[in-house]
Amino acid sequence: MSEPLLRLEHVERRYHMGGEDVRAVRGVSLSIDAGEHLAIVGPSGCGKSTLLNLLGAIDRPDAGRVLLDGRDVSALSDREATELRLRRIGFVFQRFHLLAALSARENVELPMSEAGLGKRERAERARELLSYVGLAGRERHRPPQLSGGEQQRVAIARALANRPALVLADEPTGELDARTGAEVAALFQRLNDDGTTLVIVTHDEELAAAAKRVVHMRDGLVVRDERGVAPAAAARGR
Amino acid sequence: MWNPHRIRFISDGTMRLTILVPLALAAVAPLAAARAQQPRTIAIDARLAADARLHVGDVVVLAAQPGEAGDTVRIAAITRPNADPSEIAHQEYRVRVHLDQLQSLTAYGDRVHRFAVQSRGGATTGSAVAAIDAAAFGFLAHRSRDVAVETSATFAVVSRFHRAIGVITVVASAIFLLCILLLKVDERRKDVAALRLSGISRATVVKSIVIEASMVALFGTLFGAALGWLATAIVNAHYQGVYRTPLRFALITPRTITFALVLSVVLGVAAGALAALRLARAHPLALLGRR
Ligand SMILES: Nc1ncnc2c1ncn2[C@@H]1O[C@H](COP(=O)(O)OP(=O)(O)OP(=O)(O)O)[C@@H](O)[C@H]1O
Ligand SMILES: [Mg+2]
Repeated sequence: MSEPLLRLEHVERRYHMGGEDVRAVRGVSLSIDAGEHLAIVGPSGCGKSTLLNLLGAIDRPDAGRVLLDGRDVSALSDREATELRLRRIGFVFQRFHLLAALSARENVELPMSEAGLGKRERAERARELLSYVGLAGRERHRPPQLSGGEQQRVAIARALANRPALVLADEPTGELDARTGAEVAALFQRLNDDGTTLVIVTHDEELAAAAKRVVHMRDGLVVRDERGVAPAAAARGR
Repeated sequence: MWNPHRIRFISDGTMRLTILVPLALAAVAPLAAARAQQPRTIAIDARLAADARLHVGDVVVLAAQPGEAGDTVRIAAITRPNADPSEIAHQEYRVRVHLDQLQSLTAYGDRVHRFAVQSRGGATTGSAVAAIDAAAFGFLAHRSRDVAVETSATFAVVSRFHRAIGVITVVASAIFLLCILLLKVDERRKDVAALRLSGISRATVVKSIVIEASMVALFGTLFGAALGWLATAIVNAHYQGVYRTPLRFALITPRTITFALVLSVVLGVAAGALAALRLARAHPLALLGRR
């Protein structure tokens, strides 16, 4: 059996709040293979974002292990975790988190420059990525000059900058209206069709329906793991 | 055909003589012969020329009191006022006349309280001072430099006072800059979080904030210096007009600029580094208010 891209083994995450323990994730085990398109759904506060942060080496579990390519991510130093996020993982956030002072292209180039890519290569790849997400010709625009949907496209292009093995998104359509949300969902679909592994936390039913696998969470636990749902069938089912 | 103006010569005693004597001495001999035909010449300063609407070539009468008879003279030159801070408050006119004219105007005979001797400088000054001192009892010769130091003591104090104000201003604005920088960097928490989450290292974050802070400090200082230079030019133009003097009332020196630049860049880098380190050390999720 080949090693999955990502494996969680009995992962737990607790928060201490005013003397009380909140168990945000209570022993989750999960395997994600390369090329999967996975949605994590569940009621508010069930631990979806916490789990995603653990998957993305943003946060460390209090118990259990998170293995990316068979390597224990939870044991990495801050510097190693940063490097891993730079080269292997792309993030898309609900609020885009673009740098307002930089142009779309410069935002996309940032992770490449950190990874040591040459100026010309950076510019070329940023242009390609922006045209891939449907923003050809908008390279010089700064985030405040772009609509929410367009900003999220820039953020997706930035997430893809260093050809990550895995793209993680936390409520990527949360700030967008239905139509723009659907466009971003279609973009994620295309990303996965082109081979990118996707894990998306969402309340957006349309976005979840497009996933080939849907993980349902409740109270810090995975309560259902639906696989093999064809995206089209799932979309029809709604 | 001429229209002679009458000038009342204001005699205020010894100071005036000091200045006028060497000039008059130099001019008196060659002019004595030609006195019969041509009116003799005098020089007046620019303020008097402007106020009395006199020009070079005008012919005037020199008299101690208005209406009195006096020498008819021609204005041969208009002199510029000195850049002397002790003179700006007195709105006086300066007129250069020949020694004998001065003597008859002041009715002071051949006595003087002071006179100036111009030397060639160097060792000759010392021997001239010694010779005058030894010439007769009661003579006291000073070098102009010593006289200048003595009479400018007040201005030295004022100048120190100004320097203190300058230093306080620069230091206060530097501290202001520091606080603004700290606040501005803190506004970047979300940006820093986004960068750190996308895998940008702490070092890169700190480096870019420090570079930005030093650029802000550098260009801020240069902009401030340009503004200061403009303000200086305006102040000088205004007061030079009001007091009719070439004296400069406001100064911005390379030392001032260097001091401000060094201080603000050092403080800018320090403040930037401090604030950046604080942000970079925090967990990105904490910066987003999620922890
Ligand atoms: N920094 C924190 N300190 C204390 N408790 C926290 C912290 N972060 C999350 N929690 C708690 O952990 C639980 C799971 O939070 P999480 O953000 O993962 O939920 P979520 O499923 O993403 O919710 P939502 O759909 O509203 O985004 C919640 O009970 C939350 O209150
Ligand atoms: Mg969440």
